[in-house]
Amino acid sequence: MKLRRSMLFVPGDNAAMLSTSFVYKPDSVMFDLEDAVSLREKDSARLMVYQALQHPAYADIETVVRINELNTEYGLKDLEAAVRGGVDIVRLPKTETAQEIHELETHIARIEKACGRPVGDTKLMAAIESAIGVVNAVSIATASPRMVAIAIAGFDYLVDMHTRRSTGWEPELFYARAAVLHAARAAHIDAFDVVYGNVTDDEGFLREVQIAKQLGFNGKSLIHPKQIDLLHKAYAPTEAEVSHAKRVLAAAEEAHRKGLGVVSLDGKMVDPPVIHEAEMALQLAEAV
Amino acid sequence: MNATADFYTVQPKDAPPEMEEVRKLLAANDLELDDQIEVFVVCRQKGHIVACAGLDHYTIKCVAVAEDARGESLSLALGSEVVSLAAERGQYHLFLYSAPHNLPFFRGWGFYPLVEVPQRVVLMENSPVAIEKYCESLRVQRRPGKTIGGIVLNANPFTLGHRYLVAQAARACDWLHVFVVKEDASSFSYADRFALVAAGVKGIDNLTLYPGSDYIISRATFPGYFLKDKGLIESSWAAVDLLLFRDYIAPALGITRRYVGSEPFDPVTKSYNAQMKDWLQQAPSGQPPITVVEIPRASIGGVPISATEVRRLLAERDFGRIAALVPATTLQFLESLLPVNNTIQ
Amino acid sequence: MKVIKEAIAGTVESSDLLVKVAPSGKGTRDIVIRSEVMKQFGKQIKKVVTDTLDKLSVSDGSIVIEDKGALDCVIRARVQAAVLRGCGSQELDWGRLS
Repeated sequence: MKLRRSMLFVPGDNAAMLSTSFVYKPDSVMFDLEDAVSLREKDSARLMVYQALQHPAYADIETVVRINELNTEYGLKDLEAAVRGGVDIVRLPKTETAQEIHELETHIARIEKACGRPVGDTKLMAAIESAIGVVNAVSIATASPRMVAIAIAGFDYLVDMHTRRSTGWEPELFYARAAVLHAARAAHIDAFDVVYGNVTDDEGFLREVQIAKQLGFNGKSLIHPKQIDLLHKAYAPTEAEVSHAKRVLAAAEEAHRKGLGVVSLDGKMVDPPVIHEAEMALQLAEAV
Repeated sequence: MNATADFYTVQPKDAPPEMEEVRKLLAANDLELDDQIEVFVVCRQKGHIVACAGLDHYTIKCVAVAEDARGESLSLALGSEVVSLAAERGQYHLFLYSAPHNLPFFRGWGFYPLVEVPQRVVLMENSPVAIEKYCESLRVQRRPGKTIGGIVLNANPFTLGHRYLVAQAARACDWLHVFVVKEDASSFSYADRFALVAAGVKGIDNLTLYPGSDYIISRATFPGYFLKDKGLIESSWAAVDLLLFRDYIAPALGITRRYVGSEPFDPVTKSYNAQMKDWLQQAPSGQPPITVVEIPRASIGGVPISATEVRRLLAERDFGRIAALVPATTLQFLESLLPVNNTIQ
Repeated sequence: MKVIKEAIAGTVESSDLLVKVAPSGKGTRDIVIRSEVMKQFGKQIKKVVTDTLDKLSVSDGSIVIEDKGALDCVIRARVQAAVLRGCGSQELDWGRLS
């Protein structure tokens, strides 16, 4: 199962970052052609990302490209570059309706056919950045079999909501987080929490990671490589959790060996979701 | 995404609040604000302007980075921003003047030194080969002969005095190469001045006329903002311009003599001419010395002909007196500047 | 493709390169490269640049490169961007950009 804890944002026109980001081993790397790139450099950044996608160093890391919205003069060209370059996931910014996902799909299928890539190979993720996006989260998350993740983008969303970031439990993000999470779980896809912009405040970052983790987010969008390790460590299960997970899986294996239909541990029944959770816990533990 | 450093442009003529901060930053780096700058790139970090670079047409000026922000990546980002800005404005061939000890900083920006006045200033351009390509284009124009002359004219406008200088030089040389200074800070535009020179030297057969070159530095282009002393600015400008002539232009064309009219009026030009002898004849250089020949100005009724005087007479609409000082082609042009009823606009 | 106007792409920042293209004015193609790692990688840089230009069928133009230690993929991208800007071209022929 693909771990998606850390999605590292890399500005598409930054040669140094494009050349080194793979070193930090994030679970996914997201090449940004949208907000991180000035209008003047859109064309150049597109080519940089197109070339970087094909670099052997990125062969083993899941790649994501954040294209510009399709209703801009850049969006479709970005899409061509991303799909033809072999990107794993296309990230659509400011997603508000399922219709946008359908439109995106149609274009991607066309490009896949044109460049000989298996149709359906390119996956999708949606970024929710507005109130409309939040209320449409379920239909967006279930809009296509290509959808693998949904993210909440805090900055634009809060502007739309006429409020701003606070500390503590961040009530201003609560509903959006919950909505996006539920949509993700209903659609059986991954959910990403907001970017934490203050790269000098590790404590604040970790506080927010705890919120995200407790809510059930698979991971978080990151803007600095040092956040990767901090995040991975925070997501790692405790020793107690790990040994419990091992016991659950051992029980499941034994039940399977004995041909029993039901798995039990310490006198209690163990449902499939619990077994799945145990598998995830071990995977997380091993990935730190 | 949040950027820790923010680059954006400001236009001094809009008098934005940034200019006060820019002034302070420059002062902290021992620089004055050059008032010819059209646009600045500034970098804001944690609420303060920590770096700036100005652009005046194709010359980069007033580059400063706050001491506590000095790190290679910021300086290179600044350089990239200003070069991109210049490109947006259609300027691809860029120059900058720097204190010699900052040469390595600007090498990092992709700038290469052209000439250096020790301890004062180094002129750099953003190409390793542009000067060589320019010299190549000049070499194609070489003419055979032992005595090859060179003249650099501003001609604001072209007078009989200029004509006299050119004619005398042409008579004494196997061939004469004449350059017109390209710069629109004069009263008359470069295009007009060049046209008048071309018309005025017709009939002199052993002459090649060249359009202005980026490598002939007019006084207006030369930035004085980092050399506080006025005398130092004048002498540094002269040195840079003359070194370019000696090290590049003259060798490419095989020029052995530089002709100049004596300058009785303007102190800046007078000083420049005096330095000509230093830099072209005496200063150590990889290139052979060039003889400076100063020709006494042509006079009318004992008064040396001067373009300044022509401009003054133009303001008074005294075409009668102007006619004695300029060739017919220049007179025609000057008359055409004023409408039929001869009122000044 | 023909370079019809001056254009630049890239930056002088570390790991990047600044590519300047201009019409050559003489129907030739000339490439000038300066790099902090000229000795070790000069040849390789030249090869990548030449291949990229060949694929775009650029036979006429002046290309000047200031390299700051860029990877091949970055060199390709910046050369392509500069050429496309210099040709005033909006359309991308993906077959020529690999």
